Amino acid sequence: MIAYLQNIAVLFCINAILALTLNFIMGYAGIFSLAHAIFFGVGAYTTAYIALHFSDSLLLCMGGSALLTALLSMALALPALRVRGEYFVAASMGLQVIGVTIFSEWKSVTGGLGGMIGIPRPSLFGYIFNDDLAFLVLCVLILLMVIGLTALLVRGSFGRSLMAIRDSESAAQSYGKHVNAVKALSVAVSAALAGVAGTLYAFYMSFINVESFTLEFSILLMAMVIIGGTGTLFGPVVGAALLMSLPAALTYLPFLPPSELGTIQQIIYGIAMVLLMMFRPGGLIGGRSREKSA
Amino acid sequence: MNTSMQTNDILLQIRNLNKNFGGLQAISDVTMDLPAGVITTLVGPNGAGKTTLFNLITGHIVPTSGSVHWLGQPLKGIEPWRIARMGIARTFQDLRLFSQMTVEENIMTVMERNSWLWQSGRTAAEKRVNEILEETQLADKRHERAVDLAYAERKFLSLARIMASQAKLWLLDEPASGLDPRSFERFVALLRNYAARGITICIIEHNLDIVIKLSDRVAFLDQGKLLAQGSSQEILKDPHLAAIYFGDRS
Repeated sequence: MIAYLQNIAVLFCINAILALTLNFIMGYAGIFSLAHAIFFGVGAYTTAYIALHFSDSLLLCMGGSALLTALLSMALALPALRVRGEYFVAASMGLQVIGVTIFSEWKSVTGGLGGMIGIPRPSLFGYIFNDDLAFLVLCVLILLMVIGLTALLVRGSFGRSLMAIRDSESAAQSYGKHVNAVKALSVAVSAALAGVAGTLYAFYMSFINVESFTLEFSILLMAMVIIGGTGTLFGPVVGAALLMSLPAALTYLPFLPPSELGTIQQIIYGIAMVLLMMFRPGGLIGGRSREKSA
Repeated sequence: MNTSMQTNDILLQIRNLNKNFGGLQAISDVTMDLPAGVITTLVGPNGAGKTTLFNLITGHIVPTSGSVHWLGQPLKGIEPWRIARMGIARTFQDLRLFSQMTVEENIMTVMERNSWLWQSGRTAAEKRVNEILEETQLADKRHERAVDLAYAERKFLSLARIMASQAKLWLLDEPASGLDPRSFERFVALLRNYAARGITICIIEHNLDIVIKLSDRVAFLDQGKLLAQGSSQEILKDPHLAAIYFGDRS
């Protein structure tokens, strides 16, 4: 039972980091990306590659994943600089499809559909995180660091610039905001931290394949952010906790047929999204409305 | 009028400016200057090209031909954010406030030119923010979101932002439209105050009270052409221009 709860807690931390980083660009900069799972995947594959071929050093794998993901994020930043709203959503979806194709077809690096197996647990200054509890502590610490960093960024001038761009790009430009630089930087920060989540995932699971980085997962992350509250610090964490605990909670309801749990889960997600958009469009943490009612 | 502040320095020079949108000539061979310390009002019927002229000055759209010089430097090819940092700020007819941000954040973010990740949260001078909030009488609304403000308060927030910008030239697009008489008087007093401090102001305005009370110069635009420039008395008393303004072109 404890092992089961530890497993859920580790996966919650990883998903919360991903939701926080997606919210950073979605909630604060207004960049609605459906390609976040790709950055998660790039981080995971980079870590797996480094750990399997060079070193299991946590710092090396995490640094390499963050750096590579931030660089590759410019592929997302470029369309974000040119288009907004639904056009960008479509462009990011295209990037997601390309990413999944590369993950599944670049066999020499990603292992193709079979993925990469036997990823060792990470080491930090000689200590190897073989114990699941120690790994959970590591995940919690990194989650807290991501929350702290996000708070620092969004409550400072950078965050205000992001929100200004989200609310009115032309007005932000008219008051001297270098919109392209701020957007590119925000995407790079978000992607780098998603890459860090990928590092934790690869080390924890010891096996990764393309199934973990699909469009469905990007949509699930977006649901975590929206349900928790876009543009709020703790909303994505709450959203991640809710969506992570739902499958576990459903298994405790004896009247539900186990074979239909996945379907029921999807229906509950859908109903929750519809109700939230109707009654609390700002999300659970974000308040009743994002716009003043007429 | 603030004629005592007028100098002969030309801040902005517009020469033979043209802008075509397909077959429509939105701005046609406009030549005018904005001298330092002078309040200039652009008047003209809807579709005269007034906002397009602002967009050309601020780099939001690129001219088909002609030039705009700021303190002798050509603005061609310069991005809007750079032009803003050079000292030209503007408001918008539809305000474009940072709607989900608080009143204080709206002002503060305008004061922060750079947005580096390591910049601390309170780099903007709080003293100046407080001054602006007092001047615009928004102090008790400082923690409210812009979207939750009443209409007149939004108008004053739009003005507060440009006050915070430290720009030398303010381009105001219908800043007083829809204001009640008391707010209108406060608004005029604020603009006079800033003009007296040396700010050069160019206003697009349909409200003839503003034109008469504030303007040192009036420029009349119609169908993209600059038809006349002069004092408000000269322009408003011209029967030909009045006929165009009120829609009688016969």
